[in-house]
Amino acid sequence: MSEPLYLLPRLEPPLSSLLDAGEFLHPLVDALGSPLNVLLPERIAENVRRFRAVYRDHHLSGRVYFAHKANRSSALVRRLAVEDSASVGADVASLGELQHVLACGFTPDRIMATGPKDPDFLWLAARSGVTVNLDSPGELDQLAEIVRKYGLPRTDVLLRLSGFELGAAASGASGVRLLSRRSRFGSPIEEAAELLAAVERHRDAVELTGIAYHLDTTGLAEKVRALEQCLMVMDECRARGLAPRVVDIGGGFGVGYVADAGQWNRYTTALTEAVLGTRPALTWRGYGYGLRNEAGTLRGAAALYPAHRPDAGAGYLDELLSLASPLLGRPPATLLLEHLFDLSVEPGRALIDQCGASLARVLEVRRMGEGTGDYVVRLAMNAGDMSLEEHGVLVDPVLLPRPGGGGGESDAGPVGVFLVGNLCLEADLITRRMVFLPRLPRVGDLLAFANTAGYAMDFHAHQAQRQPVARAVAVTGEGGSWSWCPDEEYWPISHGGGVLS
Amino acid sequence: MRYDSITDVIGNTPLVRIDPAVHGLRHIDLYAKLEMLNPFGSVKDRPAWNMARPHLAAAAERDETVVELSSGNTAKALALLAGMHGLTFKSVTNRMRVPEIKELLLLLGAEIEELPGQSECLDPTDTDDPLTRFHQALSEPGSTYLHTDQYFNPRNTEAHATGTGPEIVKDLDGRAPDWFIACVGTAGSSTGVASVLRENDPRVRVLGLVADKSDFIPGIRTIDEVHQVGLFDPATYDTIEPVTSQEAIDGMLTLIRRCGLLSGPTGGAAYQGAVRRLRLVDAELTDSDRRTAVFIVCDRAESYLSYVRQRRPELLGAPRRGHHVSDLTDADVAAGAKTIGTGDARRWIADGQPAPLVVDLRGPHAYAALHIEGSVNIVDEVFDELVRGGLPFSKSRPVLLACPVGEKSARYAALLTRMGHPDVRSLTGGVVAWRDAGAPLVRE
Ligand SMILES: Cc1ncc(COP(=O)(O)O)c(C=O)c1O
Repeated sequence: MSEPLYLLPRLEPPLSSLLDAGEFLHPLVDALGSPLNVLLPERIAENVRRFRAVYRDHHLSGRVYFAHKANRSSALVRRLAVEDSASVGADVASLGELQHVLACGFTPDRIMATGPKDPDFLWLAARSGVTVNLDSPGELDQLAEIVRKYGLPRTDVLLRLSGFELGAAASGASGVRLLSRRSRFGSPIEEAAELLAAVERHRDAVELTGIAYHLDTTGLAEKVRALEQCLMVMDECRARGLAPRVVDIGGGFGVGYVADAGQWNRYTTALTEAVLGTRPALTWRGYGYGLRNEAGTLRGAAALYPAHRPDAGAGYLDELLSLASPLLGRPPATLLLEHLFDLSVEPGRALIDQCGASLARVLEVRRMGEGTGDYVVRLAMNAGDMSLEEHGVLVDPVLLPRPGGGGGESDAGPVGVFLVGNLCLEADLITRRMVFLPRLPRVGDLLAFANTAGYAMDFHAHQAQRQPVARAVAVTGEGGSWSWCPDEEYWPISHGGGVLS
Repeated sequence: MRYDSITDVIGNTPLVRIDPAVHGLRHIDLYAKLEMLNPFGSVKDRPAWNMARPHLAAAAERDETVVELSSGNTAKALALLAGMHGLTFKSVTNRMRVPEIKELLLLLGAEIEELPGQSECLDPTDTDDPLTRFHQALSEPGSTYLHTDQYFNPRNTEAHATGTGPEIVKDLDGRAPDWFIACVGTAGSSTGVASVLRENDPRVRVLGLVADKSDFIPGIRTIDEVHQVGLFDPATYDTIEPVTSQEAIDGMLTLIRRCGLLSGPTGGAAYQGAVRRLRLVDAELTDSDRRTAVFIVCDRAESYLSYVRQRRPELLGAPRRGHHVSDLTDADVAAGAKTIGTGDARRWIADGQPAPLVVDLRGPHAYAALHIEGSVNIVDEVFDELVRGGLPFSKSRPVLLACPVGEKSARYAALLTRMGHPDVRSLTGGVVAWRDAGAPLVRE
C-alpha cells in the first residue's frame, strides 16, 4: 500500500481525553449497546465562552442562540440553560424543540422560533411569549390572526430576509454583483417595505424587535453584504417609527473537523487524481463526491465540507465582524455598535463542536476478494446512525482497541478499509471512501467517530429496519475519572446523581 | 513607430537577460519574456485578442455581451477590446480577490458577478453548482453572449503558439531554450509556447508552476484546480511544482528592485520557481555546458499593492507623522483622559458657560440615524487626520467626545489633553450608556 491518507480528527479537551479512556468506554458500550452516542455537556459551555469573548472584544451585546436542530440532546440544552440568561438563548425550529427547551429550563424570553412553522407551533410560541423569527408575509398574517383570536399578548417578531443579491443591484452603489444561492427561506429583501407595512398593520398583535438573515454559505463577503443591507432595513424601520434593536445574523459559523491542513490537502489532491484515473480509486466503486472525469478534464464540484478550516466557530464570527463592509466601509462590529444594535447569532454546528462522539463496535473484518488489498469492516451501526458522509464531512474514526484483545502479526501496520453498516443494503456504507486506520481492527474493538454532535449524530437515524437506534449518554469528568448518565437524566446541577454537585 | 490600432501593438514583447549577479546561476543564461509590456499590461492580451477577434463584428451587430470566467488579466484585455467595439464585458468568477483589479475592471466598464461561497449544509447529490448554472445560461437558445471560454478555447493556446513561442526562438537566434518556465493559469501560454519550442528541439524541459494548495497567487491555479482546465495536459510539463505567495513576493522584489522589471506576483513566482529549480540543474553542469532558460513575466506590480500589503505589510509601511492615538499606552489613557458620565454631561451641555462642543466620533450612517442633539459628527478616521497636524479646536471651547462605548473617545481625550487642550472630556460608556440611561437621541 502507498502512504496511508489519514484525515485525523481535530480533538480538544475534554473529547481528546475521553477518547483515550477506552477502559471507560468499552464497558459503557457493552452495557448500553452499539451504536452509542456520548455527549460532553461541559464543552458546550466552553464554546459559548468563546463566542462571548468575541462579543466582548467588539463591545457588542445580544444573545448567542443555540440552534437546537443540530442535536436532539437534553443534556446539551440543559447545560446551556444555566448559562447567563441575558447572553445565551435557544433557537427552535419545531413545536417539539420548543416544548423541549421550555422543559429544559429556558424561559420564553430566551427562546427564538425559526424555520417553517405550523399553526400549533406559532400558537405555543405566542402563548408562551417567545420571539418569532418570521419567514414570510403569510406567516406574519397567520401569527397576527392567532394572537388576536386567542387574546394573546403582543408577540415579539424578527423579519428574516433573503435574496440580498438583488438588493445590492438595486442600491447601485457597487458595480460588483455578488451572486447567491437561492434559498427557500426568508422574505426577499426587495419586499421589505411591504413587510414593514404589514408589521404596522398588525401592530396590535406583533412588535418588531429585529431583522434577521441566515445564509447557507461559507462565504464571508456574502454575509457582510447581507448584514449591511439589514442595517439599511433597520434604518427604514426607524424612519417609520418602529424601534427594532436586534440584527440576527443566523448560524453557519462552521467547524474544523480535520486537524492538519497538510493531510486535508494531500487527501483532496489524491481524490482528484483518483477521479482522473492517475491513481487507484480511493472510494467505493470510484465514487467521486460530485467530481467527474470528462476526457481528462475534471468537471463538477467536490461536494465536500471544507473539513480543515483555520477559522471556524467563534473565530469565523470574529472575522465576519472585522471585515470592511462594501457600502458603509466600516466593519460590521463597528456598525452594529455605532447604531446601538444588539447582535444575535444562531450557531448550531459550531456551538456543539467537540461536544460528542458516536461509538460503534466492530462486528466483522473481511477481505474483499482474493488479491485485492481491500478490507471491509462491518460495524454495529448504520449510515443513519452516523451520517458524516451524508453531510460531506470526511474525517477518520479513532480506533479504541478492546482491552485485553489479542494482537496478531497480520494486522500490524496501517491499512485502508471500507466501513459498512448493519443493514442488508448495498448502499449502507458508513464511509464511501477508504478509511485509513493505524492497524486492522479486530472484532470487539470500538471505532469512535469524533465530533459528530452537530447534525451527524443520529440526525438520520430511524426505526425502519428494526435495528437498535443509538442511545445517548452524557459524560462528565476530567482525565482519569469519568461518570455518565443517560442523556435524559442529565441535569447540570446534579449530573443525574440527584445530589447537588 | 506608428500604428492604426492599439491591437497592432499586441505581441513582439522583449526578451531581457537577468543579470547573473542577481540569480547566481553560473552556467545558465536566464531570460525574462516581458509579456507585461503588452498594451493592456499582460500575457493575456494575445489570447484575448485571438479569441475575440473573429467574433467581435458579428457580436456588435447582435449587441451581445462578452463574458468570461476571469479573475483579472483576461477580463482586463477583453473589457478593453469589448469597449473598442461598442460592447459590454461581463466577468463571472469567485477568484477575484484583489481589490485593485476589481476596481480597475469597473473603471473599464466591466460588469462583475461573483459566485457564491460553498454551501454550509452540504448535499453531495446536488449537481446544481453555480458554474454549471452559468454554463446553462450561456447555452440557452436566444442568449446574447459571446463567451470566449479561455479555459477550453484552443485559440487561447494558438495565440502563444503563433506569437509568444516563435518570438522566443527568434530572439534566441533560432534556437529553443533548454528550459522554459511558466505559471499555469489557463495553461494557454505554457502549452502554446512549449509546443513551438519542442518542435524546434524536443529536448526542451518545461517547468509548470502552480500555487501552493493552501495559498493564493492571483492568476494561477493550484495543482487540483489545473485539472479543471480543458487546455491543461499533464504531458506538456516535465515537472509541476508549487510556489507560495511569499516566494512570489520574494521573486517580485528581486525583479523590481534589482532588475528594473516592474513585475507582478505571477512573474515573481515564475522567477523564484525557476531559480529554485535551475540551481539544482546548475550544480550538475560544468564550465563547458552553457544552458539557456526563459520564464514569463505575466503582468505588472501596480495592481497588487493590497495583495502585498496583506502579506508583507512592512514593505509598504509609511513612517508615521505627527500625533496619533496609537502613541498612547493604556496607562497614558487611564491617567490622561478626563471622563464624564451621562447625568453630568447632560447638565454640562445644558448649563455650561460656555457649553461644550459635542463631537460624535461614529460613522456618518450611525450618526444620521440617531445622535445627541447639537453634536457634530467627525468620524474617527477623519479625526485621526485632523489631530496629526495639531489641535483642531480652540482652547477656549470645552469639548465632549462621544463614541459607542467610551473607549475610543477616552483615547482621543487623553491625546488632546496631552496636546494642550485644557478641557476635553470623554463620555463615559459612550452613546450606548447615554441611550441606556434614557437620555434623548435625535434623528434630524
Ligand atoms: C435560521 C437558522 N439558524 C441557524 C442555523 C444553524 O446553522 P449552523 O448549524 O450551520 O450553525 C440554521 C441551519 O439550518 C438555520 O436555518
